[in-house]
Amino acid sequence: MGTLVLSGVARSFGDVAAVRDVSFTVPPGATFGLLGPNGAGKTTTMRMILGILVPDRGSVLWDGEQVDLRVRRRFGYLPEERGLYGKLKVREQIAYFGRLHGVMPPYDLQRADAWMERLGIEQYASRPCAELSKGNQQKVQVACAALHRPDLLVLDEPFSGLDPENAEVLLESLRLLQKYGTSLILSSHQMWQIEDLCDMFCVIANGEVRAGGTLAELRSAWPTRIVQVEPAADPLRGVLDALPGARRIPEPDRPLLAYEIPADADSASLLRRLVAAGDVTRFERVEPSLEDIYLRAIGAAA
Amino acid sequence: MSTLAVVFTAEFLRRIRSRAFIAGSVIGAASIVLIAVLPALLGGALSSSTKNIVLAGDPKLVATAKTLLAQDFEITATVPALASPPTPAYLDAHGKASAVAVLTRRADGLHVVAYARDPSVFREEFGRDLAPMQIALATNVPVERVAKHLDVPVDVRDVSGRFADVSAADAAKGIAYLFVMLLYLSILLNAQAIMTSVAEEKTSRIAELLVATLDPARLLAAKILASAATGFIQLGVWIVVGIFAGRAVTTMFSHQSASASSAAASASAFGALSVSSGEILAFLAFFAVGFAQYGVLYAAAASLINRTEDLGSVAGPLVVPVVAGIILAQLGLQFPNSPNVVICSMIPLISPFVMFTRIAVTDVPAWQIALSLGLDVAAAVLLAWLAGKVYRIGLLLYGRPPSLRQVIATLRA
Repeated sequence: MGTLVLSGVARSFGDVAAVRDVSFTVPPGATFGLLGPNGAGKTTTMRMILGILVPDRGSVLWDGEQVDLRVRRRFGYLPEERGLYGKLKVREQIAYFGRLHGVMPPYDLQRADAWMERLGIEQYASRPCAELSKGNQQKVQVACAALHRPDLLVLDEPFSGLDPENAEVLLESLRLLQKYGTSLILSSHQMWQIEDLCDMFCVIANGEVRAGGTLAELRSAWPTRIVQVEPAADPLRGVLDALPGARRIPEPDRPLLAYEIPADADSASLLRRLVAAGDVTRFERVEPSLEDIYLRAIGAAA
Repeated sequence: MSTLAVVFTAEFLRRIRSRAFIAGSVIGAASIVLIAVLPALLGGALSSSTKNIVLAGDPKLVATAKTLLAQDFEITATVPALASPPTPAYLDAHGKASAVAVLTRRADGLHVVAYARDPSVFREEFGRDLAPMQIALATNVPVERVAKHLDVPVDVRDVSGRFADVSAADAAKGIAYLFVMLLYLSILLNAQAIMTSVAEEKTSRIAELLVATLDPARLLAAKILASAATGFIQLGVWIVVGIFAGRAVTTMFSHQSASASSAAASASAFGALSVSSGEILAFLAFFAVGFAQYGVLYAAAASLINRTEDLGSVAGPLVVPVVAGIILAQLGLQFPNSPNVVICSMIPLISPFVMFTRIAVTDVPAWQIALSLGLDVAAAVLLAWLAGKVYRIGLLLYGRPPSLRQVIATLRA
């Protein structure tokens, strides 16, 4: 258990600045979602955390100390591009990565067996990895990354290529690691999974942090809210149009009025004015979803 | 257990269990047995079939020549003259001879025209065997007397005290060459194995996982050590097989005729392995430094490719110094103290081959051995440092292969 702190981290490849300035903190045991479009710098940031790449500027600290090899052995990594020794048998492969992270015999094999059972791949223990399906290979990779009960597990797009059933198995495994106290950093394009799993988020684009914090913090910093009003009657539309800063959101498929209004607008006062103007059958103030926040952050960056 | 030990153990077991290693060891051992046995088995048969000849010409000349040629040839027939140049069918009909030698006496002495299946093999032996006859014809001294005086006893003695006799010196050359070939084979096979391993880890993206856990230099070192260990085992197997094969051949042919025994002489070098512990140590030391130098180079080269199919293109240039080493080692056997050979025995990458041959056939000053080893170790460290940098960057470099300029820029970084 430890705290990961990235401060002003930057990394370029020749003339291309992959990461310009990224700072965030991952508290002990937290599950941290790293969001961003392709090419935003997520993978480069993850590689710098893991010491695969050395930052040009800034620092990566674990419990206040530079991340060295000794610390890195307590980390786990599930890269986006999966990598396994094709000819090595599943059980041996998982145990090997365990030994690389300091899990010595006989515990390497014992834990390998436990993870294979947990992930439902124990029947493939003696099969070469190359003979497994892509989904099962990903399970092997998860076991390789998690066998040593890492202090920090970095997962780059862990759900990509998984069918819903296997995605659920992976989620269960990650929840188990959360129980062990493992800090998780994961990137994903599937917001619903991220939103469900993560305590904290960081949106990066063009190598810079665009938004960060808990979902509540991100929402509180969101400058607008959505209100939905039914029916879509002209008197009600008039009240909403008159509200300073309000912007109508077209909802062609639904018989309602949807408006983006300033976050600090008085909802109770607005409701009273709407009721005074006509029959209101529905009034809802919608909190922004993680996807809304993400898309706005990315749009701001574009 | 350190990560170095974990990777070493895994690499060692993976390599030693691999079909490539098992097949390479078995094929190598079989080749050594063949090298030892084939010359002995085929030597007699080949020599007997290629040395059947027919003599044609004046019966008196032919009779004298027959006596002189008997030491090297089997005379299957003698004829007074040839009606026309002989055909292969004519040779087959006369004891499956390989040549017909037509002897004539001219004003300037004896003249021989040989019609041979293989024209390249007779000239020297004919000339040597018939030389007394030529002198006898010119001087009127009886041919027996000329022959007797032409045979000068030469007793070559070794001033270094290393070799008991000429055959021991010849055997030392044979053994040195054998060891150099083993070094060559071992470096090629095992350095290729390192290359394949690095390429597999890169192309299957395992490298990223490994580099996240351990230092690339340590990963590289573990790979090279594991491959060197399997290389040593392979060499040990080959040497033991070679010794037993040589001894078996020596025993098999000890009862045979002189000509067969001479054919078996090369094989008997295996059995008469009079290699000193110093030479063994030298071989192991130069094997180790040579292996380290080539290992890091092959690993660095492999880290730059993106597809295993491209391995050949980066491996090709690295074979050049190995082949140069083999060629220079042959020169080293003949001229071990030539200044050029001495210089070559100091140049890293080729010195493991050249210096070892010098050590095997002559007394190399200790300072030269120490300097050569020192330069090799320094070169291995330097190459490991440079290759480590290329390896670290190359492992994570995907897409278009880097240009030479990029590689140099990487080394400067």
